[in-house]
Amino acid sequence: MNGFLEYVPGNSFLHRMNPVAKLLVSFIIVITCFVTKSFIVLAAILVLDAVLAATCGLTKQALGLAKAVAIFSLLLAVLALLFTPEGDVLVELPWGFIGTESVLNAIRIVLRLVACAVPLFLTFYVTKLTDMANAMVKILHLPYKYAFTFTSTVHFIPVFMNDMSGIMEAQMARGVEFDGGLAKRISLMIPLCVPLLVSSVRKTNSAAIAAEVRGFNLRSRTSGYKEYPFGATDFIAFAVGVLLVIVGIFVPL
Amino acid sequence: MIEFKNVCAAYDGEVPILKDVSFTINDGDFVAFVGTNGAGKSTTMRLCNGLLKPTSGQVLIDGVPTTELRVSELARRVGFLFQNPDRQICCETVRDELLFSFKAQGNAGPEAEERVDQIIETFGFDPAAEPFLLNRGTRQLLALASIIVTAPPVVILDEPTTGLDFRECEKVMRIVKALHEQGTTVIMVCHDMEVVADYAQRVIVMTGGKAIADGPTFEVLRNPQVLAAADLIPPQVVDIALRLQQAGAAPASVTSANTLTEMASAIGAYCAKGGAC
Repeated sequence: MNGFLEYVPGNSFLHRMNPVAKLLVSFIIVITCFVTKSFIVLAAILVLDAVLAATCGLTKQALGLAKAVAIFSLLLAVLALLFTPEGDVLVELPWGFIGTESVLNAIRIVLRLVACAVPLFLTFYVTKLTDMANAMVKILHLPYKYAFTFTSTVHFIPVFMNDMSGIMEAQMARGVEFDGGLAKRISLMIPLCVPLLVSSVRKTNSAAIAAEVRGFNLRSRTSGYKEYPFGATDFIAFAVGVLLVIVGIFVPL
Repeated sequence: MIEFKNVCAAYDGEVPILKDVSFTINDGDFVAFVGTNGAGKSTTMRLCNGLLKPTSGQVLIDGVPTTELRVSELARRVGFLFQNPDRQICCETVRDELLFSFKAQGNAGPEAEERVDQIIETFGFDPAAEPFLLNRGTRQLLALASIIVTAPPVVILDEPTTGLDFRECEKVMRIVKALHEQGTTVIMVCHDMEVVADYAQRVIVMTGGKAIADGPTFEVLRNPQVLAAADLIPPQVVDIALRLQQAGAAPASVTSANTLTEMASAIGAYCAKGGAC
């Protein structure tokens, strides 16, 4: 069972792609999602997301993520609906109105966020974090310290999620009930941030000391032996990404 | 009373952890679960207080299946001390931490305040101290105190002595022993066979998700086949007694000794009678 953002082994073309190419193409898709106003392009990206997830056997994870992002983006969509009065008036509100454009914008927000989140998360599921860091150092000439900070941060996400789940279990075993309304759940979870924060600081501190005593500062940029060359797939993916941005900008709706 | 009837359990419904486990723990028992990491001990404990529900079979607490009870309801009957005290501690002072257990169970009030004062005195805590600044042993004691402060009839201890020095370990186990003497049922997961030998009355040995032995502590700890099957070693005194027995090098009074005191007095008596010392 893999945790959140944890590498899932495989041999799909996404797995085999250059880590930096994967990251760049993901960012290109994110940019396309935000520059385009076209529902056709957004729908096409969603289809592309589904195909990519299926090719690397991560449909279940992608669906779970899409659902979570959709729920979060619905909140933003409601805010956009209520507070961005644009287009022909559909509903009058005390502070403005809901217009035809407000509805389209709200739908766009949900589609955009779901469409751009999936490729980013897929990138992490199909790339070993060490490969990601090393490739960024070798190809993008990112200082290793920053690459290490980045990978450590991502690496700690499932650890902290596991900690939070353990803390919640411990409190449930003491009689705390986490079910009920959202407000009640939030009020119950706020005090739990204290043990999570304490354990996070302790873990981070330990990790820093462990890295230090293993000679972290001795590493130079050239110490990695593994090479990360770009292949034909990477260039094709990059071309498709650029094409997507162009189409996204010029296709009207 | 806690009953396991042909219990199977799995995490996320995928990885089977427990395979057809059955046993009964009566009120007032002091039971230790032993076995290697991954044997299914902690999973068994999580089933006892409903944090995990069986995939098949039944776990009954006082005759009621845990599937019919909420974890918060079970918390009143079954206290659970986790291996890592930092997962339990969440308040700003020791006193608040102890009171939190009552608040969580909806029992805060003057009686709770009185009970907290009593526990603070028994454990020798500074009520205004910040829990996260206490040392590991004291944090473990605080976590234990925050469980027993509500006086649950059953207490589950998941590796209560891990990471503690000898004195801290002794202190924790003395409190657990006193708790048991007052009638609390104690269920403990422990890797330290010396602690098991010193405190538990009954031992259940687990390996590969199955309970392979269940009986009085020394009956189990003196069974080399069972210990070998679970990759365990007996406590030192039992080990010496068994080796002497195997070699035929000592009388039965010495080879049947289970504790250091029993062995010392048996050797003393043997030497006094003119035996070869």
